[in-house]
Amino acid sequence: MRIILTMRPRKNPFIPIEAEGIVPSILMTGAEITVWEGNRERRLDEVFEVAVEGEAATVEEVEVVLRGDTSRLKRVGEYMDGGRITVEGDIGMHCGNFMKAGTIEVMGNADGWFARELCGGTVICRGDAGHYCASGYRGEKKGMTGGRVEVFGNAGDFAAEHLAGGEVVIHGNCGDMAGVEMHGGTLSIGGDCSRPCGNMTGGTCTVLGCAYGMIPTFQAKGETNGPDGKNISAFTGDIANRGKGSLLVRRYQYLK
Amino acid sequence: MSDLLIKNAFVIDPINRINGEIMDIAVRDGRIVEDVGQGAEVIDAGGHLTLPGGVDSHTHICGTKVNFGRYMSPEDMRAGREARRGVKHSISGYSVPTTYANSYRYAIMGYTTLLEGAMAPLEARHTHEEFSATPLQDVMANTLFDGNWGVMEAIRDGDIERAAAIVGWTLSAVKGFGIKLTNPGGTEAWGYGKDVTCIRDKVPHFEVSPAEIVEGMIRVCELLRLPHSVHLHCNNLGKPGNYACTVGTLNLAPDLNEKRQTLYATHVQFHSYGGSDWKTFCSKAEPVAYTVNNRPQIVIDMGQVMFGKTTTMTADGPMEFNLYRLHHDKWSNHDVELETGSGIIPVLYRRKNLVNSIMWSIGLELALLVKNPWQCMLTTDNPNGAPFVKYPEIIALLMSKKYRDAEFATVHPDTGSKVVLPALERELDWNEIAVMTRAGQAKALGITGIGKGHLGIGAEADIAVYPLKVDEIDPSTEYQRVIDGFAKTKWTVKRGRPVSRDGEILVHGENTTIWVDPKIRPERDISRDPRFVEMFNHWYSVRMSNYPVQDEYLRRNLRMETEAAI
Repeated sequence: MRIILTMRPRKNPFIPIEAEGIVPSILMTGAEITVWEGNRERRLDEVFEVAVEGEAATVEEVEVVLRGDTSRLKRVGEYMDGGRITVEGDIGMHCGNFMKAGTIEVMGNADGWFARELCGGTVICRGDAGHYCASGYRGEKKGMTGGRVEVFGNAGDFAAEHLAGGEVVIHGNCGDMAGVEMHGGTLSIGGDCSRPCGNMTGGTCTVLGCAYGMIPTFQAKGETNGPDGKNISAFTGDIANRGKGSLLVRRYQYLK
Repeated sequence: MSDLLIKNAFVIDPINRINGEIMDIAVRDGRIVEDVGQGAEVIDAGGHLTLPGGVDSHTHICGTKVNFGRYMSPEDMRAGREARRGVKHSISGYSVPTTYANSYRYAIMGYTTLLEGAMAPLEARHTHEEFSATPLQDVMANTLFDGNWGVMEAIRDGDIERAAAIVGWTLSAVKGFGIKLTNPGGTEAWGYGKDVTCIRDKVPHFEVSPAEIVEGMIRVCELLRLPHSVHLHCNNLGKPGNYACTVGTLNLAPDLNEKRQTLYATHVQFHSYGGSDWKTFCSKAEPVAYTVNNRPQIVIDMGQVMFGKTTTMTADGPMEFNLYRLHHDKWSNHDVELETGSGIIPVLYRRKNLVNSIMWSIGLELALLVKNPWQCMLTTDNPNGAPFVKYPEIIALLMSKKYRDAEFATVHPDTGSKVVLPALERELDWNEIAVMTRAGQAKALGITGIGKGHLGIGAEADIAVYPLKVDEIDPSTEYQRVIDGFAKTKWTVKRGRPVSRDGEILVHGENTTIWVDPKIRPERDISRDPRFVEMFNHWYSVRMSNYPVQDEYLRRNLRMETEAAI
């Protein structure tokens, strides 16, 4: 079953739309769902052209395709428990938060809080992700607990903050404070980042580029073999927080 | 205002010695009267349990401390979200919810009067601003004097009248209600990086001991003839072995007032610990309860701990630092100039944790071991032990041995060897619960005279009708019905107006702030005392003329003037 949602042209495309109902398991039932455009509640077909092809017996056979300007569409795939969502353009904030299973693939860029507090499933962004990608919620101790997030472009600040489980792979650069407060899981950064893993207590973070503003409370453990076969510097910490996390960086610079 | 008649009410009103009579209650202009005419609005209580509106004599719902709890725990606001509907504001939060959430939840449980447990005088404006957004309960604020420089100096010099003049002036200035001492001397010592280990240690620089502060303030309270007694949070909160210090403090209280107690010790559960460290930690509720039983001049409240997430907040800065060293989570510490301090930490009380299980047992033991219900109030020190929405469960625990046993089976297996709870057979009755949740609290606060905590003629028409038929329920076995009944009233009536029905809020409401204004002879007016003015101007960051809370901060308010003996 393929459900194609094409965004209708809007008078003011900047008004955010909250669409936590765009989840395969809800859409496959054909239930009438509504979304909020600003402070107005709208039927799904007022905002999207809806086209349904084929049928599905289980949620695994459902694919939802989002077309058009979806860059202000928030909370797509929230609590998703199976199936697939493909976003052909950009996606707005909070995409795939609390997701348990299934796949979300974003061909463009993702806005902030991408895959926040993920529990399972796979979330892929072919472009750049905003701040708080694969992070936890403000104030909460536990962030993402399982699943896999892959960003092919860059990610913003606080990527994988409070990471507790699962795998986060960012092929490009990260902003400030990547992997801060992480206590489990793995974070791999293909490019550069700054001040990684402050207050880390567990888990593994690998930085294949340069870690700027490296935090001094990590203890050097010598050189080891990196995932690409080349040498990489190993650290453990954050000892300021009695942490036993592992931080591997190819190059690093302390703050002057 | 229209008339109201509540018919067929099964009334329990301990102050007027009514224990389960079917009555009609007539209300005119917000007060209970003998009779009303034909045109009155009629509520049929249908024989359901009807009590005076609930009074919480120690809760933290408004002020800087509570607000900082909200500030540092954004995740708390993920719970309890409800959209705006009708007269209701949108609400959110669980342990430190929005002011409206506090107000609505208390109203739904039948509570109509609240005492904010700790208001720093300098930051009183914030408390009063939040009071005005707590519309369904009458409110008052105990004012912190535990580390007040002027008071400590006066007590050190043995000049109780001077201390009373300072306290009286401050209470009037900040529109406070009573004297609150939180870890007297300890928070000030903490300002010097120290703490006091018990009541005989001296506070650095001031050379005054907690015992002297407590004894002095009790005399100050009686000199000012305040309606409420000294409200004391003892030293050493939460430390193993602190019961000895607590008993020592309770023994300091003389019997000076025939109308009420002379010392109100709050959240005594946190002060009834035995052992010498966390491994030997055990309950010492028995010696504490024994002391209370032998000293009728003392009233305590439970400070019951219930399992789950909450936020601890207190003016006891050093104690919160010790908690921080245990949890290594978020911590906030705050110093209030010449007055006091505070600390905040979010906590999770777990059944599987031995210490938490013992704490849970101690609160219940205190309530069951104190023989006279007028001497032990039902509280959780909201939100320190648990959010107040847990009160119905505590009521059920106190009324049912079976429920206690069922709960006890789920706590840490070693708890049995550390506490006496399983051996306590006592089950409280409806009348005792009414005492511990309203009548006793109103009496302890000294507000029965203004019509709180009872349903006599002339009393304020604050009435709670619970969906409980006392004759048809056996609370010792049907505890779930007790919990459900106390969690949601059929009707809550505030000042003669129904404010909630079956869990629905009916009006926007407007509360009354109750404050105390001791009348002191002009020559004892401390604001004209050169030494005090000089100290004030030298150390405070505000001018003395800007210190008093302006009248605009209080909307509807009730000023209780007292004839001070100075």
